[in-house]
Amino acid sequence: MEHASLSFFDCNAFFGLSSGRSLAPIPTAEALLAEMDRGGVARALVWHIAQHDASPQVGNRLLAEAIGPYPRLTGCWTVLPNQAREFPPPPELFRQMAAARVQALRVFPNAHRFLLNRVSLGDLLAAMVERRVPLFLSVRRGCDWQQIYALLAEFPSLVCVVCDHGPWGADRQFRPLLERYGNVYVDTSQYLLDGGIEAFVADYGPARLLFGSGFPESYFGTLILTLRHSQISADAKSAIAGRNLARLLAEAEL
Amino acid sequence: MNDSPLAREFWEHGKSASCPIYDMHGHMGPFHSIYFPRGEPTDMIRTMDECGVRLLVFSHHLALFAASIGNAASIEAVRRYPDRLRAYCVINPNYPQQVEADVASFEQHRDVYLGFKFLSDYHGIALTDPRCRPAWEYADRHGLLVLAHTWGGSALDGPAVVRQIAERYGNAPFLLGHSCHGDWDAAIQLAHDFPNIYLELTAVFDDRGVLEKFVAAGCSERLLFGTDLPWFDPHHAIGALLSADIGDEDRRNVCYRNAERLLTGRLHT
Repeated sequence: MEHASLSFFDCNAFFGLSSGRSLAPIPTAEALLAEMDRGGVARALVWHIAQHDASPQVGNRLLAEAIGPYPRLTGCWTVLPNQAREFPPPPELFRQMAAARVQALRVFPNAHRFLLNRVSLGDLLAAMVERRVPLFLSVRRGCDWQQIYALLAEFPSLVCVVCDHGPWGADRQFRPLLERYGNVYVDTSQYLLDGGIEAFVADYGPARLLFGSGFPESYFGTLILTLRHSQISADAKSAIAGRNLARLLAEAEL
Repeated sequence: MNDSPLAREFWEHGKSASCPIYDMHGHMGPFHSIYFPRGEPTDMIRTMDECGVRLLVFSHHLALFAASIGNAASIEAVRRYPDRLRAYCVINPNYPQQVEADVASFEQHRDVYLGFKFLSDYHGIALTDPRCRPAWEYADRHGLLVLAHTWGGSALDGPAVVRQIAERYGNAPFLLGHSCHGDWDAAIQLAHDFPNIYLELTAVFDDRGVLEKFVAAGCSERLLFGTDLPWFDPHHAIGALLSADIGDEDRRNVCYRNAERLLTGRLHT
C-alpha cells in the first residue's frame, strides 16, 4: 500500500456558535485553525454558522472578518434571491467576494424560505455559470435531491458541490448527476459507505470527489484515515484530498 | 495530528497489531435502500483485514428483512468463516411461531450465535412486547448477548423502553445499538444504573463530541465498537476514535478490551 504525503484542503467546515444545542462547538476561526493543526488539515473552505442560523448578510460579514488574517482559510458566503435587493447585483457581489477572499457560495433554500430555481435566482445562477463560481448544497441542511435535480436541469453547466449527503449511502442519488452533468462534484462528508471511495473512483475517476469533513459536527480524522487507506492510487488520493478543490476555486473568475 | 503511539500506528498502517478490533454490530448481504460495494462475506473479510478487525458479530439483512428466509444466510456465513464471524439470531416478533422456533433451535447453533438481535423500530414492535418475551427470557436464563437497535425518542426502543427491559432482565448483557442515538444523557444514565448495559457505537462515531461525553461520564469500560458493516467503513470509526479527545486506554477499551471481556466463555466452536 503506497501512501503519498497528502495535503488536505477541506471543502466543508464551519465555525461559530449555533443557535441550537451543540456538543462541541468551535466558536472562532482561531479555534478552527487549532483543530485543523491537530487534525492534520492544511487549508479549508469555511463558512460561519450564522450564515444559516441567523442571517446570510450578518454571517457573511462575520466570516469575512474572521478569516481575514488567515490565508489558510478561504470563505464560502451564503446568498438569497435578490428581488428585494438584499444583496448587490452579481458583478458587485463577486467583487466583494474577491476582496474578502471568498471563492464559493452556499444556499439554504428550505431554511431561508425560497425556491432554488431560475425564477428566484436566475440572474445570479447564470452569472455563476459564466464565471464558474462553485455553489455548495448541503443535503443535511435541507437541500433535497429533487431540488438539486431540478436546479441542474435548469443550469446544467453550474459548478455544483453536493455535500453532507448523509450516512445512509446516497450513490443512487448522486451517480445519475455525475453521469449527466460534467460540473457536479460530491464531497466526502458523511460518505461512510464501506468501499464507497474505491467504487466511486473506479467508475468516475478521482476528479469529481472532494475531501470534506463536516467539521465541527464530524471529526477531521474520519475521512482522513479512510482516504489514506483507500485502495486507490496515491495520485487519486492526492486529488481528492485537496487538488480537486484547489483547481475548482482557481477556475472561479471573480 | 494526534500522534500517540497507537494513533501513529493506525495512521501509518490502517490497523494496529496491539489493538485488534471486535466489531459488535454488523450486517451482511443486500438491502433495498442502499448500494453496497462490499456487501458479501468475502469482501467484508477483506475490509476487516484492511482495518484490523479480528471478529465481526452481525445479523444478515435477509434475516432482518426477508422473513421467508430468516437466519439461514447468517448461519451459512459464520460456518464459512468461523474464525472471523459470529452472528446474532434475529428475532422478528411479527412472526411469533418463528420466534419460538428460533429460540428452540438456538442450542443447535451455538457455534454460530452469540445471542439475539432486535430491530424494533423497523419491525414495528416494542422491545417490551410479549411477543419478544421468549427470546428475552432465554437470553436472560443463559446469559446471552442481546443487541437491540435503540434510538432516542422512539416509543419502541427508546431509553424508557430500554429501562423497562433492563429492570426485568439483569443477566443478559444488553448492547444498546447506536446508544439510544441522540439521547446521549439517557444512554449514560442507563449505563450507570444497570451493570449489564453496554453502549454500542455504530452511527455514534459520526457525531463529534459524543465519545468524549461518554468517556467523561465514566463509561469507557462499557463502550463497544460497531459499524453496521457493510454500511460504514471501519476506518471511518477508527478515525473518529483517534480524533476524539480521549486517551489510548479508552481507545483500547472500545476496540477490544470490553468486547473480549464480554466474549470470554461465550465463543463456542
